[in-house]
Amino acid sequence: MATINASATISSDIASYPVTISGAMTMTKSANPSVGLEETTGLRTKKFTTTTAAVIVEHDELTDDKAHKVYIRNASGSRANFFYVAYNASAAAAGTAETIGKLYGGDWMLMPYNGNVNITVASSTATETQMLEYMVFADGIVAAKG
Amino acid sequence: MATTAQITITSPDLMPGSALNITANTTLTKAGVTADLDQKLSGVVKVTVGGPTEHRLGPLATEMAGDAHDIASYLYVHNKTTEDATYYVDFGIHETMIGRLYAGDWMFIPWNASDDNAELEIQAIGGTNIIEYCLFNSDVILPTAAA
Repeated sequence: MATINASATISSDIASYPVTISGAMTMTKSANPSVGLEETTGLRTKKFTTTTAAVIVEHDELTDDKAHKVYIRNASGSRANFFYVAYNASAAAAGTAETIGKLYGGDWMLMPYNGNVNITVASSTATETQMLEYMVFADGIVAAKG
Repeated sequence: MATTAQITITSPDLMPGSALNITANTTLTKAGVTADLDQKLSGVVKVTVGGPTEHRLGPLATEMAGDAHDIASYLYVHNKTTEDATYYVDFGIHETMIGRLYAGDWMFIPWNASDDNAELEIQAIGGTNIIEYCLFNSDVILPTAAA
């Protein structure tokens, strides 16, 4: 069993009182929340030069209905560009069903993932290269078929 | 004004011989520009099984300024339940469940309110879950009061 810790700190001065949110968790399995996740697809980095949607997490490589976690970061610097991120078999766009949101340059996300549908992304620009980092912390990986 | 978000993910033993240490920082801004977000809404709610089945977190997708879609906003959700580690909420967008947020787990995602039905939803699986959430945005408007 591995130990994977994730913490977030969000600070804001939007309100007249300071807002500081701190969250910390240890990633654990669904069947036994006292046992840590112990599998990963590894930290991947991918360069995007087109706006064509691409699947970054194939659900059939993971066990369905589990407590996977997905970390994604737009490693580019421009706040003018972004990636659509969608819980969808093949599409990610403004009006696509189950498009989650837009990950602008520098933004990151960490979300729970049940492994039932692909995670798909699409870059907003074909004129500027964008880099994406992503990693799945898996609650069960299905061995690839030969 | 500024809103910043930092994440750290560490593991000494997930990948033998290669300790994991991810750190990332970002300053959350309005869509496509460097202007800071200027609104937030937050709360703590108890979500119980079946009462109702699915709960909406935050605004309707139609409650954006000018019914705006494709916005830049960010959602933090933390399941603060301590009663039973097997409790969780299913998190989804318009009845399509994306993942399970177990007791003690947190999540942070962008949300673009992609269409009128793209509301944020949670459903309790097991007992009562205590959910803390905060939505940082610049486009949410208040519902019109009845005449």
